[in-house]
Amino acid sequence: MNISVEHINLNYGNFNALQDVTFEINSPKIYGLLGRNGAGKTSLLSILASYRQPSSGSITINGESPFENAKVMQQVAFLYKKDYKEETDTIKGMLQDAERYRPNFDKEYAEYLVKKFKLDTKKPIKKFSTGMQSALNVVLGLSIRTPITIFDEVYLGMDAPSRDIFYKELLAEQERHPRTIILSTHLVSEMEYLFDEVIMLDQGKVLLHEDYDSLINKGFKITGNSEIVDNFVQSKKQINMEQLGSTKAVTIYEKLNEKDIQAARQLGLDIAPLTLHELFVHLTKEED
Amino acid sequence: MKQNAIYPKVALDMFVVQLTWALGFLGVMLLVHIGKIIASTFGDYEVDSYFNVVFIAANIFMFVVGILCVNFLPHYVSNGVTRKDYFKGALIGALGLSVALPVIASIGSLLSKVILNLFEKITIKEADINSVITDIETDSNIIGNIVDSVVQSFIVPPYIDPTSNFVLAIAIVSLNIFIYFLVGWLIGVAFYRLGTLGGLLFIVIGLALIIVKDALLRLILNLPLPPKLAFIESLSNSIGGIIIVAIILLALFGIRSLSKNMTVKL
Repeated sequence: MNISVEHINLNYGNFNALQDVTFEINSPKIYGLLGRNGAGKTSLLSILASYRQPSSGSITINGESPFENAKVMQQVAFLYKKDYKEETDTIKGMLQDAERYRPNFDKEYAEYLVKKFKLDTKKPIKKFSTGMQSALNVVLGLSIRTPITIFDEVYLGMDAPSRDIFYKELLAEQERHPRTIILSTHLVSEMEYLFDEVIMLDQGKVLLHEDYDSLINKGFKITGNSEIVDNFVQSKKQINMEQLGSTKAVTIYEKLNEKDIQAARQLGLDIAPLTLHELFVHLTKEED
Repeated sequence: MKQNAIYPKVALDMFVVQLTWALGFLGVMLLVHIGKIIASTFGDYEVDSYFNVVFIAANIFMFVVGILCVNFLPHYVSNGVTRKDYFKGALIGALGLSVALPVIASIGSLLSKVILNLFEKITIKEADINSVITDIETDSNIIGNIVDSVVQSFIVPPYIDPTSNFVLAIAIVSLNIFIYFLVGWLIGVAFYRLGTLGGLLFIVIGLALIIVKDALLRLILNLPLPPKLAFIESLSNSIGGIIIVAIILLALFGIRSLSKNMTVKL
């Protein structure tokens, strides 16, 4: 599935939720969509899922505009923290709908997941706890097997063991039936091992879109004597600095080659790789 | 690969859900009917037919079901169904419901008559719903007139006695409740899309459509017109019919225009 987003803008009155967003997704991988609160993640995802139209710009899925396109819309699922407080239906009814409207739905797998998450099939969904409602979204998202499946902070309220089941099932499913999965999340450190690629949004703009491995090889923390550190990092892109006495730690966002690393070691500097969590925090922090 | 049409599924699903609501409604009306029969044995032993009991309340029922119809849109979009398929499906479902409701009510009415005939004392009232219209005292100011027309329309819509012409009676009820559904749907969609102010504006538009529809139906069926609307008697029946069709198309156009690109709220 190819998703091509070109110069998308979305305005709510005077507020620009998305500004000139452009990116392309080509292969069936797991994509991590990261961004702070209000960065525009949900707005972007709801456009991908045809819940709304952008104010300007274009989006195509396999070359076709998805909005009101029956063929494309059937291939895209959007799972988010849905308000189920009025939902009198039971899981059974929800799965029946999925079976009726989603051609790739796997009923057996859905039932297996329902058991795995210990969800009550007879209870009305409005009586579920938040975590159980989230687990239901996970069950639906995994079992309908749409070629494009979007999970928007779908883990909310789920306890750690349930989240663990979700991550394991997600990877197992991806192995069995590879598809394009977009995960938007705030739990960066917990979920980063799932991502093949990372898209970071900041204030409505795409900050970066990179392969996870190459991204993680771009962030380093250089620690040592203040002057030596300053000298070493002066030509590099610095994204954070901490100082304690004469010791300084500078975070850089740049790939280091073997020569750089050798040089740093000879200067007595400590080089530590960054986690995606740290990169995310430093890259999206507000300028003082 | 040829895509199977999705709207027939939507139509069937919506019809079934709304029919379940309708059966609940008909059940409640049956209890009301039985209550009235029992009460009549303490008085004049005269009861309305079940058809007439349902007839009066069906408008409000369909109006409410129509208002709720917009809530199915987010459900279908989240299942990958387009707004267009939702629109077509909901429309067909509503047509089905509009026919099913009076048919079920008249079958119920027939059964209740058979049963009531066993009790020789109880008689079924000759309904004279239409003449009520001319008896209602209307206020002299405009607001009062509008309120009167609306209330009249909801309570005493144009009526044909099923014993006089069964098919026409069913057809008129179907047409009537279908338009109520459409107006409710239009108002519901307007509230969802445009918020409170826009919604309120569409309540006014919707009620206007209902008043006009009512007057024209009375004209076509040669039923008494409320005195204030007597002036439309100069229109010919065919023009009246065309305007009624136009009202339906206008409501459908409004619903589709408002919902075509509608943002599904999260």
